Amino acid sequence: MGSERGAEVASDGPVAVELDGVSKRYGETTAVDDVSLRVREGEFFTLVGPSGCGKTTTLRLIAGFEEPTSGTVRFAGESVAGVPPEDRDVGVVFQSYALFPHMTVGENVAYGLNFADPPDGVTRDERVAELLELVDLPDAADRDPESLSGGQQQRIAMARALAPGPDVLLLDEPMSALDARLRERLRAQVKRIQSELGITTIYVTHDQEEALAVSDRVAVMNGGTPEQVAPPRTVYREPATRFVAEFVGDNNVFAGRVAESLGGGELAVDVDGGDETLRVATDGEQEAGERIAFCVRPEHLRVASAADGTSAGDAPVGENALRATVASAEFLGETTRVTLDWGDRELLVRTVDPLDGAVAVGFDPSDAHVIEVESR
Amino acid sequence: MTGADGERATDGDRGSRAARLRERVESNALTALAVLTSAALVVAFYYPTATVLVEAVVVDGVVTLAVFAEVLTDPFYFGELARLLSGESPVAVARALLSPDRRLGIVGFTAYQAVLSTIASVALGLPAAYLLARFEFPGRRTLRSLTIVPFVLPSIMVAVGFVATFGDNGTLNAALTALGLPPVDLLFTLEAVVIAHAFYNAPLVARVTTAAWESVDASAVETARSLGAGPVRAFVDVVAPQVYPAVLTGAALTFVFTFGTFPIVLALGGFQLATVEVFVYRLVRDLSYAEAAALAIVELVVSLGVLLAYLRYEARNRTRTRGARPLPRRSLVPPAPTLRELLPRAGLAAYVLVAGVIFLAPIASMILASATGGDGALTLEHYRFLIERQQTGAAFQVRPWPAIRNSLAFAAAATLLALPMGVVVAVLTTRRYRGRTLVDAAAMAPLAVSGIIVGLGLLRGLVFGVEVAGWRIAASGAVAIVVAHAVSGYPFVVRTVSPGLSGLDRSLVESARALGASRARVIRDVELPLVWPAVVAGAAFAFAISIGEFTSTVVLATGADAYTMPVAIERFIGRRLGPATAMGVVLLVVTGLSFVVIERLGGETRGL
Repeated sequence: MGSERGAEVASDGPVAVELDGVSKRYGETTAVDDVSLRVREGEFFTLVGPSGCGKTTTLRLIAGFEEPTSGTVRFAGESVAGVPPEDRDVGVVFQSYALFPHMTVGENVAYGLNFADPPDGVTRDERVAELLELVDLPDAADRDPESLSGGQQQRIAMARALAPGPDVLLLDEPMSALDARLRERLRAQVKRIQSELGITTIYVTHDQEEALAVSDRVAVMNGGTPEQVAPPRTVYREPATRFVAEFVGDNNVFAGRVAESLGGGELAVDVDGGDETLRVATDGEQEAGERIAFCVRPEHLRVASAADGTSAGDAPVGENALRATVASAEFLGETTRVTLDWGDRELLVRTVDPLDGAVAVGFDPSDAHVIEVESR
Repeated sequence: MTGADGERATDGDRGSRAARLRERVESNALTALAVLTSAALVVAFYYPTATVLVEAVVVDGVVTLAVFAEVLTDPFYFGELARLLSGESPVAVARALLSPDRRLGIVGFTAYQAVLSTIASVALGLPAAYLLARFEFPGRRTLRSLTIVPFVLPSIMVAVGFVATFGDNGTLNAALTALGLPPVDLLFTLEAVVIAHAFYNAPLVARVTTAAWESVDASAVETARSLGAGPVRAFVDVVAPQVYPAVLTGAALTFVFTFGTFPIVLALGGFQLATVEVFVYRLVRDLSYAEAAALAIVELVVSLGVLLAYLRYEARNRTRTRGARPLPRRSLVPPAPTLRELLPRAGLAAYVLVAGVIFLAPIASMILASATGGDGALTLEHYRFLIERQQTGAAFQVRPWPAIRNSLAFAAAATLLALPMGVVVAVLTTRRYRGRTLVDAAAMAPLAVSGIIVGLGLLRGLVFGVEVAGWRIAASGAVAIVVAHAVSGYPFVVRTVSPGLSGLDRSLVESARALGASRARVIRDVELPLVWPAVVAGAAFAFAISIGEFTSTVVLATGADAYTMPVAIERFIGRRLGPATAMGVVLLVVTGLSFVVIERLGGETRGL
């Protein structure tokens, strides 16, 4: 956990937004707990976590809708304490679109231009046309916002937020009200616009898949603090904490005690809830007797039917072979997600072929990732 | 804060200093407006009221509670309770209260008639809410918007209508005689007062209850039904708890309004049925200011107590069901001739008959009486009287045209004053912060303070003049009337505008601010346009309240030629009913026309 949290420090490019020990408390409850983050210029940065993890509050603190109870928010190195939202040069897009229903689409997009001249010396009308073009709704200017579909309204909200040329774009669950397929299309569009404009973007979502798909870096939040801040691939492959491992994608988390250090970066682990000793790879320095947790992604578990009575060791599942039985299966199209009963706990695997009855499961030690070391 | 901010800064330098000044003014506009509104309230309400109320405790420059003690222990005011306050044993007092010849005193009687009026209003209002919320019929929407009408009708006009209905020669006795029944004498009885109060407040109860009933989500009821509750049980468990707070709202407001009642009792009850407010008026006329002030404070404490208790209750029970699917309305024509379908409809039919008599008879009687001579024949002599009075009336006499002109001018001015005040207070009380309830209560206090006292305070403070740093500041009676009307009208602007404001999606405001708009600018660009119908309704309210205001006007119009239509009616009613009813009809027409104009100017009206 400690090593990953250090990794958020920008290694290249200037810092656009920085949170320094920021907390927000409402009476007894702490919504945001001592958060320190740095978002680089031009970065697509995502706050992801379950509801109540503090991600939206964090965004509202950056936008200036709330002031932190303690700590400092800095824009380009300068504290913005006490600066009202209208003076922060942020663009905000809400889940509810929040288009002004008494204005046309064009008037909505132009609204921010009442308070700032359009960038690049263009006229208001040109700027509005430019942005409607950008969000692929060039003919919508005279329409009534309520006559547009949800996805179209969200794109207008995006155009409106971008029109004054903000320094930072803040997106608060912008797609949660849309259906799954539209969401996928729209997020690709958001990503395209973001990289075209190169605008610093902070995106809040509860959907980890969405977070992985669009972000340069992801902060996985839990209980008011980020548990890991890293690029999507790192978060997926090397989750820093057990929470991250289980929140981002499907995962199988094992807890156990190191039986011995095998050398070559491998450990033999006595797993809780089974008699097996499993071999896992590690980058760290764990010693015999230490308690650890590690995880193996479902797609890294090899599985074979053991119905013919052969022992698990004979099945072609490689090392770390376990015996389990199929509990349930969900057909997802491309693959099938199968839940296995292994002792009194469950394992998740992905297969192409249908499975039934007794199976053998195994994995390569190098596919295991040690996520947690409990000192004892 | 980087690139674009730098650009903005250079723009500012290139632009004039005025632009930056404007920006600064704009960003502080809300604060400035709030300060202005508070100042207006202090000048127009708190200061004048305080100068009067302070007389209850300061006699000849010495602070004393003697006046209070006198009032509190006087059985004339507090009945048997006064004996408790003057130290008699509770047992004796309780026994006296239970005995048939108990004395309630003025305060006790006022509370008693307010409770009766509240019960009557709820009883008369609930069936209307049931009809309006649960049934579909042609004209339902119109009827629903008409429920606001009685509430804004000038009370003195309603009183005239009631006299024309229940008086010795009223339509009720005419109808009874025609049917061969003995005549009744309802005028100057408690019954007449209570019915008149119900006329006023039952529509209010109906209105708030209907709104709550309509916002009950049908799927909540359907869930209860699918879980095994019958229709009655589902009503008791799901609908009633959501409707009940609204009924309580209506009841609390009715109590406060009827506790402070004045013109109705003055016209229908006379001094035999004097309430606190009538007595305060009498004491003021007799120049017993200290006693009047003490009595007004007692009235204020009771009204504020009820109002505060209610506000606390409302704050605790605030539920917002937005986007709910309302319960489907039923047809008034029974779909099947079963007892369960027929019974409620038969009940409603009986109700409509009673309500029709109560709500339509006074207005109809007033119009009829205005066109009926002493011999019972149709005539225009009362209107002719008004015209003659206008042409030949002496200077000290009340003439119709100045009354009409004054009423319209005062109402227009009071509306222009009440509207911004109300909107600012609505904005301030919709936002969440510490002490909001206090601001809410302070802003709503004019609802609970005796109009007589406000009028008297303004008369002695503003009209007679105040010495401020060597300058003598005095306002004319007309200005004082406008101020008093604005103060009594603006709480209604607040009440119509703030539900709309608090119902707005917070992210609309936040989007506008993130786009660069100041808080005040957001109010102008986003919030007000979206609640515009409520603002118009608030304006209509303020206008109507001013047109019908009687209590403080009658105090302030004394001697001056600043009398209004309601004051004119009161002057006429003391002598002959005919001209009073004719003037009442004029008032009705003028009020009706102004409503149409406000509606046309502002579009569809909603709210409260």
